[in-house]
Amino acid sequence: MTDEITRKESPTTESKHATSSALETDRRTLLKGAAAAGGLIAGFTGPVYLRDFNYTQSVRAQTSEPVKIGFIEDESGNLAVYGIQKLHAAQLAIKEINEGKTLKGAPNIGAGFHASSGEIANTPPVISKEGSNLDIVGDPGERHQSELLYEEVSDILVDSNDRGILGREVRLVSADGQSNNTVWQQLARRMIQQDKVDVLVAGFASAEREAIRPIVDQAKQLYFYTNQYEGGVADANTFCTGPVCEQQVIPTVQYMVEKFGPRCYTIAADYNFGQLTAAWTKAFIPLVGGEIVGEEFIPLSVSEFSQVIQRIQAAKPDWVMTLLVGSNHHNYYPQAAAAGLRLPMASTVNMAQGYEHKRFPAPSLANMHNAIQYQMEVPTARNRAFVKRWMEMFPEDQYIGEMAQNTYFTIHLYAKAARLAGTTDQETVKKALELGWNIEAPEGSVFLEPGTHHCAHPIRLAVCDENHDVSFVRDWPVVQAWWLQRLGVNLIRHPEYKQYTPAEDPYFNMFVKT
Amino acid sequence: MEGVAVLFSVVYQLATNASFLLLAGLGLIVILGMMNIINLAHGELMMLGAYTATILYHRGVPFPLTVVAAFVVVALAGAVLERLIVRRFYGERLGALVVTWGISLVLSQGTLMLLGPFMPSIPIPSGSVSIGQYSFSVYWLILTAVTALLIVALGLLYNWTTIGLYARATMQKPDIARALGVNTDRIYLLTFSLGAGLAGLSGALLAPTVSIAPFMGQQFIAPAFITVVVGGATNVIAGALGASALLSFVKTPVGFLLGAFLGNVALLFAALIIIRLMPDGISATFQRWQDRRSRLA
Amino acid sequence: MSRYFAALTGPNEIGHSSAFWASFLLVLFGFAAYPAFATEFQSSNVAYYLLNIPLALGLCLLWGYGGILSFGQVAYFGISAYVYGIIAGNMMGNSWGPLIGSIGGLLASAIVAAVFGYFIFYARVQNWIVPILTLVLTLLLETFLGQTAGYQWRVGVVQLGGYNGMTGIPSFQLGDLVFFGYSFYYYVLVVVVLTYFACRMLVNSNIGRVLLAIREDPLRTELLGYDIRARQWSIFVLASVLAGISGILYVQWGNYITPTQVGLAQASLPVIWVAVGGRDSLLAVAISTYALNWLTYTLSSAGYQSALVIIGFLLIIVMLFFPRGIIVTIARAAFWRRIAERV
Repeated sequence: MTDEITRKESPTTESKHATSSALETDRRTLLKGAAAAGGLIAGFTGPVYLRDFNYTQSVRAQTSEPVKIGFIEDESGNLAVYGIQKLHAAQLAIKEINEGKTLKGAPNIGAGFHASSGEIANTPPVISKEGSNLDIVGDPGERHQSELLYEEVSDILVDSNDRGILGREVRLVSADGQSNNTVWQQLARRMIQQDKVDVLVAGFASAEREAIRPIVDQAKQLYFYTNQYEGGVADANTFCTGPVCEQQVIPTVQYMVEKFGPRCYTIAADYNFGQLTAAWTKAFIPLVGGEIVGEEFIPLSVSEFSQVIQRIQAAKPDWVMTLLVGSNHHNYYPQAAAAGLRLPMASTVNMAQGYEHKRFPAPSLANMHNAIQYQMEVPTARNRAFVKRWMEMFPEDQYIGEMAQNTYFTIHLYAKAARLAGTTDQETVKKALELGWNIEAPEGSVFLEPGTHHCAHPIRLAVCDENHDVSFVRDWPVVQAWWLQRLGVNLIRHPEYKQYTPAEDPYFNMFVKT
Repeated sequence: MEGVAVLFSVVYQLATNASFLLLAGLGLIVILGMMNIINLAHGELMMLGAYTATILYHRGVPFPLTVVAAFVVVALAGAVLERLIVRRFYGERLGALVVTWGISLVLSQGTLMLLGPFMPSIPIPSGSVSIGQYSFSVYWLILTAVTALLIVALGLLYNWTTIGLYARATMQKPDIARALGVNTDRIYLLTFSLGAGLAGLSGALLAPTVSIAPFMGQQFIAPAFITVVVGGATNVIAGALGASALLSFVKTPVGFLLGAFLGNVALLFAALIIIRLMPDGISATFQRWQDRRSRLA
Repeated sequence: MSRYFAALTGPNEIGHSSAFWASFLLVLFGFAAYPAFATEFQSSNVAYYLLNIPLALGLCLLWGYGGILSFGQVAYFGISAYVYGIIAGNMMGNSWGPLIGSIGGLLASAIVAAVFGYFIFYARVQNWIVPILTLVLTLLLETFLGQTAGYQWRVGVVQLGGYNGMTGIPSFQLGDLVFFGYSFYYYVLVVVVLTYFACRMLVNSNIGRVLLAIREDPLRTELLGYDIRARQWSIFVLASVLAGISGILYVQWGNYITPTQVGLAQASLPVIWVAVGGRDSLLAVAISTYALNWLTYTLSSAGYQSALVIIGFLLIIVMLFFPRGIIVTIARAAFWRRIAERV
């Protein structure tokens, strides 16, 4: 049996019998194939060289050096739905900076709260005391019950008295990572070593960030990671402006246990984000009086959930923590709905990043809860103004996700820090950032903490109903990224270049009942 | 009542796992099992079927019609591929393997470039039914029935029709079939188209249960190949049936007790062990056992 | 001297004439002189194209000379890379850590290949089952590595990292000399050239001849008294060590490895490189590997997401029109012989 196969496959038996007539046909097919292959390659690579040629020419023609913001995101591939939003955010922010605009904010103003930007009330209310009551007598405005000096800022975009950064035009040097880690590494090297960008803003998935962080550290490149992630990056060159686990998992779990009951079943994607977030859920649920009645990790390639659904039904939880990632896992929601599983769900990733409530047919995401720091539906005046500006520049866009908004305010933050530093020299700008900054973002007031290089965010609880409309039912005005502080990370005193995991925190699992 | 619910739940899980394996392997049963072409583009053919069904559904075509349309469209695509590329590799298994891999790359990456990374999926039809504390998706029950029907139809086609006779003759002894007047070229074309069409059909049927993305085909390749290889080439249809049942019996309890990942691992190990013990597949061993019995009788 | 040259020449590899060796040495000199004209970034890119060559050479030996197609060479690439990361990562202060890590990584690949190869070749499975089995096992390895995110997945102080990957893997060093940038480029060049010469000597030796005999007709070779199972098994292990060399060079280049490096897309690349170059010849495979890696990177970094579509089309065109590979077809075309006769 095996003989037949190998004899047919062996190419060399043919060559021994090559005659001139066989060569004639060979040459014809050879020419045909060469034409096909050559045409294919020339058609695609010709323009490549022409493009590169034009780019270098135009750079040399510049009179003053532009400030280069290096930007790598996945504009194609599986993660394109997130990457394109971030690209648009960067483009919007740079346009505003070049037009002489900036966001409100300053260094060393305390952890963001309503009064962080120090708004002065027009007419403060008059308080009179009758007996033991504090009554508000005067009528100064709408919300006078608890926020005495609060006034909602209607727009956060103000003049910067500068064109670009320090008079220099800001240029976006962007590249497509194509959801491929090797390409990311090569692009990061190109941006740092060849294009010599002044700041690098890159990365959606943690894997992408970790792929380029060694290169960033070798070159001491100033690097912003603007996504929500599992937390723990303590790197003197890296500033993480997205929310981390303690800012999202704990408020979510607290709300769900209070509202629906203590029994939680966790289903998580079987990779870093899913496992770490599930570990956080498990560690903190006993502190709010809940318990995990089941925990399951699902490989990223699985898209068939009937057994999972059966197991959830057998465990009878009050609510389900769904930490599912990737296009295969999205099938859980319609399958669960079709199987009649109507438990409330909670997550830290859905809606705010991949706008599943717009992409999936209702009512798959009904009763989904998520503690977010930003979603396009946030109803404040400053956010409405921001969304309006965005839609004017990108009318075709379907959604503005949290990582897009983070990218937007991060680039404005970089501009402010560089202006304060008076230079784009990376070491000086890092020192300027390490003053600690308050910045008024569309989500609210954000504070960049000096020692941990992470941000304190306002957090709101978003609920999705059967029609996939979003409402916000609770808010936590400021939640700090306190975990790295508890670990003793102070990158100013002791520079580090690693990512901490819960294993290195002796307090993490202290009260978990296994 | 509780016991009945649990029993039904167990049967339901076994049946859905087996149906998934069979559906994934349906097109490959014909192409690999009968034509001996290792078609690594099988997953992408299923993807094409799913995309066809989804695009048509979103234009208002009712779901059952989209499934039929998917069958036709992918069968035509298969015919084109066969004429242009695959026919030069009959008899060269490794060559067919490599060239179909190239086809799969072009199809999946091309879909990504043309249609983008996501497409809204078809909502699962038919809702759910509950027995005791468990609820079951009616669609999966329907799918199980449809899969059984398809297998029976395929078996009838190959064993009871003239075309089926010609096809079997061509597969077993092409020279003699040609000498007897069978147009073997057309048989090859029809068989490959049928295999491709069946892959598209399965893709369309499974489309409501998975998300529609250009690389969705990859999740079907391993189960399809395992089912067909374990089934063996001697009697492809019966072999695939037996293989899917056997593998489902391994995967379901492990998956239920230990989680989805270990369920897949158990599936792979079971396949490895079966191939090691019965290299020509279950159907060959069964055939040999039957021959021995008839000889002894 | 001519005795060594005799070991390098033979009918089993293209290029015997002195013209060939002259041009070969010229190209080699060009590579050696390249860093003088190129930036560190450009040199590290060329180093990346070069370090994939041993992986392709291993598959070429296995498939072209041995007739066994393995889709799972990237699995050994990954195993070596991870084991190197674990050993070298745990010996961080030790200047000989990377060397020990390299040896450990290669050993790990060899052991896994030995065990797996035993099951394949001593069971005499059909030839076409090998690609499927190796592919399925590669996918299993990727899934396994992907779910090692939890902090319990560590060896010593080194975390496996799940899909985030293993980061901070140390570069290669011998004593106090750390290979990075230009020095890394030369290190890769030397390793790859030595590997190529070793493979070339192998295929032109008795072992190579028996291997070809097994590929042509296993039954006949076995009847002549050779144990084909042992020989197939040993070439399988050798191919895994070659894949391991590429894996270790890769992490010494990028200081980082993820499970996607052993995934489905990566698994197909060596097969494409070998098919396009021509599995008959090691040199053809080396050239096509370099060229295709260069092509893919140039397209990706210029923003074209069509790189993989082009590679797929190229594969189809090659299989249809150049079944023996583009470079082999060119090299073995008759007009070279006519030129050589006239010269």
